[in-house]
Amino acid sequence: MAHPALLHSHSVLPSTSPARGRRHCASQPAPLFPGSRRRRRNRPALRPMASSTAQAPPGLKEGIAGLYDESSGVWESIWGDHMHHGFYDSGEAASMADHRRAQIRMIEEALAFAAVPDDPAKRPKTIVDVGCGIGGSSRYLAKKYGAQCNGITLSPVQAERGNAIAEDQGLSDKVSLQVADALEQPFPDGQFDLVWSMESGEHMPDKRKFVSELARVAAPGATIIIVTWCHRNLEPSESSLKPDELNLLRRICDAYYLPDWCSPSDYVNIAKSLSLEDIKTADWSENVAPFWPAVIRSALTWKGITSLLKSGWKTIRGALVMPLMIEGYKKGLIKFTIITCRKPGAA
Amino acid sequence: MRLLTHNMLASNVRGVTTGYPLKLEATKWCTKEVELNADFIRGVLPKIDWRALVAATRALDLPELLPEEQPPEEEIFAEGAADVEGSAIRRIHHALLEIHIQEGSLVCPESSRCFPIDKGIPNMMLHEDEV
Repeated sequence: MAHPALLHSHSVLPSTSPARGRRHCASQPAPLFPGSRRRRRNRPALRPMASSTAQAPPGLKEGIAGLYDESSGVWESIWGDHMHHGFYDSGEAASMADHRRAQIRMIEEALAFAAVPDDPAKRPKTIVDVGCGIGGSSRYLAKKYGAQCNGITLSPVQAERGNAIAEDQGLSDKVSLQVADALEQPFPDGQFDLVWSMESGEHMPDKRKFVSELARVAAPGATIIIVTWCHRNLEPSESSLKPDELNLLRRICDAYYLPDWCSPSDYVNIAKSLSLEDIKTADWSENVAPFWPAVIRSALTWKGITSLLKSGWKTIRGALVMPLMIEGYKKGLIKFTIITCRKPGAA
Repeated sequence: MRLLTHNMLASNVRGVTTGYPLKLEATKWCTKEVELNADFIRGVLPKIDWRALVAATRALDLPELLPEEQPPEEEIFAEGAADVEGSAIRRIHHALLEIHIQEGSLVCPESSRCFPIDKGIPNMMLHEDEV
């Protein structure tokens, strides 16, 4: 097992709710989702700090939705209904047969790290799964806690598929997936006992807004769990990552429709600034690294190749970029990170 | 979309202060029987806005289904209530979980912005100019 770097802090600042814009809004009915467009390639150089812009770069949301609309089916046929990395003991060899078990272990390790109570009186009753994919986590958590779980995804294909799986599993009363933007969550304040974001934070162009929405929809005393990719923390003497690191990150980001990355410290600082309490973080990179060689091996199987060829360019490009993840990991550039915290107030 | 989900959704349009509850306009809906789980209802009921739930049932032309005021918990979760036809828990269960809105829209009470429901899935995505 990796030796996680643990940062433990306790904040007692008075809580403030994020200011909401006062602009008048258009009231025309929305056309349904416009479909994917290629993201523009002449982007500014990657900055290491979390982006402070409130709006996504043009085409980002459509690109994300398009990527997942296109590739979800392929992923599901090879890997099943969880779309996140599996948790392995450091140095363990991974195989496709193990992977589902490892993906479930990832969920359980995250819940344990955050100390989510199992006790029937204290366990979460309402859960939000932010960036829910086809609802793997939603269904698992709803079943585990007997709770109601709302998932949100940018991809209409994923929402529909996820709801259908929930129906097949007899969970459609507990699990409901909607198409929505994690940066503008369609929920009133303080609704959820558990706020869950499993490997979706990488897609959020504004990390601060992302975390502030997680905090907003969290009920008093609720647990917030973010499992996400970050780049390494900067040294005190550094103002940015090195050029070759930025270049590698850019190539990874372009393939997966990822906006600028931030570091684990950036997340911790955002959480502190939002008066979130009990902030903890750990580096689980060693625990997910066994996965990528397994993905590459699966892509090279007959089923993998034919599935990829039937899917679109976006999916193929995502698979081809897998070696870049390995390179990033070996360089200590990319970190698979868990950040957990609690909304102030009594549960 | 079930009414349990409707009860949890709010308008996220910028500048709107009263984005809840969303007005329900259903053009296609049906009912599907689902097993009653009292523990589940006990867990979600504290988070349910009763008025919004009643308003949703009225929007579906079901004025008799739920009373204006939420019945007391002792009545809802009384021993054996789940077996009694027309009991409070059975009505609540039916309202929350057995009604499926397949097509329609959810309307922001303040801005009148329509969020479409297609194949049972609400699309809460905002346009660039609304964000």
